[in-house]
Amino acid sequence: MTASHEIELRLRDTAEQLLREKKVGLFLGYEKATLPFRTTPLFLTTAEGAERLVWNPFCTANLAVYLPGLFKAPADARQAKSAPPPPTVGIVLKGCDVRSVVALIQERQVPRENLVLVGIACPGVVDRRKAERALGEHQALGAGEDARGNVHAVVDDGTEVTLRREQIVADACLECRAPTPSLHDVLLGTPVEAKETDAARRRMAEFESRPLDVRWARFQEMLAKCIRCNACRQACPMCSGCKTCLLDQTRPRWIGAGTDISDVGIYHLLRAFHLAGRCTECGACARACPMGLDVRLLARKMCQEVEDLYGYRPGEATDATPVLSAFSLDDPQDFVTEP
Amino acid sequence: MSQTQTQSAPEAASDKAWEPKVVAFLCNWCSYAGADLAGVSRIQYPHNIRIIRVPCSGRISPAFLLRALQNGADAVLVSGCHPGDCHYISGNLAARRKFALLKELLQYTGIEPERVQFTWVSASEGGRFAAIVEKVVEQARKLGPNKKLVKNL
Repeated sequence: MTASHEIELRLRDTAEQLLREKKVGLFLGYEKATLPFRTTPLFLTTAEGAERLVWNPFCTANLAVYLPGLFKAPADARQAKSAPPPPTVGIVLKGCDVRSVVALIQERQVPRENLVLVGIACPGVVDRRKAERALGEHQALGAGEDARGNVHAVVDDGTEVTLRREQIVADACLECRAPTPSLHDVLLGTPVEAKETDAARRRMAEFESRPLDVRWARFQEMLAKCIRCNACRQACPMCSGCKTCLLDQTRPRWIGAGTDISDVGIYHLLRAFHLAGRCTECGACARACPMGLDVRLLARKMCQEVEDLYGYRPGEATDATPVLSAFSLDDPQDFVTEP
Repeated sequence: MSQTQTQSAPEAASDKAWEPKVVAFLCNWCSYAGADLAGVSRIQYPHNIRIIRVPCSGRISPAFLLRALQNGADAVLVSGCHPGDCHYISGNLAARRKFALLKELLQYTGIEPERVQFTWVSASEGGRFAAIVEKVVEQARKLGPNKKLVKNL
């Protein structure tokens, strides 16, 4: 029996128990999808369905994205009294997803007391695109995990291919700073060591050492591919809580709808800024991108900057003040223009 | 505005005719009063600046600045009260963090750092205001017309 399978069985028991004892009214997890290398989010309301829950290296989605919507106050304040009480929710969370939940609790977007956090120590999930690329012209028909954590795929000519886990693990997981959930009510799996790596920092420093025009050209290259589908916003747990998103406002319309490269640029800049000190680096945006762009990068840079300037990392403590809501008289200000 | 109107004339199309347009967001309590003082004291400063009065530098969203650049501003200047002197106690302190990050982000993506400038001017610093406008306009002139982020329809 693989480690994942063991976790899966315990996860089903936990969910079944929580739902049966009415400790939660809703349980969020993953279920088997119809395509290989994927899973589908599962919303369970009865204990009978707990058998459908799965846990495997393809459980990539950040389920925290559904939470703010469940606790949103009614748009019309007059209906607040007659609104149903907020639900109690059990949710399956990987290390990165827990950071998102911590940040949401911190911003009072979700109440801690209504949540049962089922944390899973995560050795890193599979990047579907990397796996498909590794298979070359073959198409996978099914995929599973073996005892050593490598992925086996059955491809269209009937043969079985083994993909080494470290080859196909998602980029965000390679740099994960806390694979084991820091905040949890139930913890499944054996704790995983954090990988403290400065690869991202080095990459950013290398990019910054290039001349401005080269950087601008690279940025434009990325923008030219973006089709403005807003999938990165939809997939982002930190982006799902605003009452009216800046992008949806029409009076004033801050960002023109459409794919004019200037509007696309402002979209990405504002989204990165909005995530400054909030992005928990789960990689949901990059996974959601249909054009295969690594849309994490700008927000990643912002978080690096926040860490360097203000010594703050998002998603670490529920009682910390969000970095842009706080200030100090002696914040660095060498960027200020003097005559 | 006459600068943009005359730009189509052949003799005005040379580099000499181009004048930078600088949008300045000034806080009502310090910097706007500082600009006023510069005017009342008859201190000369470049006319390339278009002032937008805001209640506080904390009111300024990065979207304002990006929109200004998108609509053809060659540089943007943001000025508020000196740290500690904010009329609303801490508006400029909260704004300072936003500005630091925004400037870093724009620079990272390849926009010249001189295009977006932040400073503090108090109500008694008319001279300082004029000097800063001078500097910002001079730098914008050196950079040339803003082509990045501008929306061409």
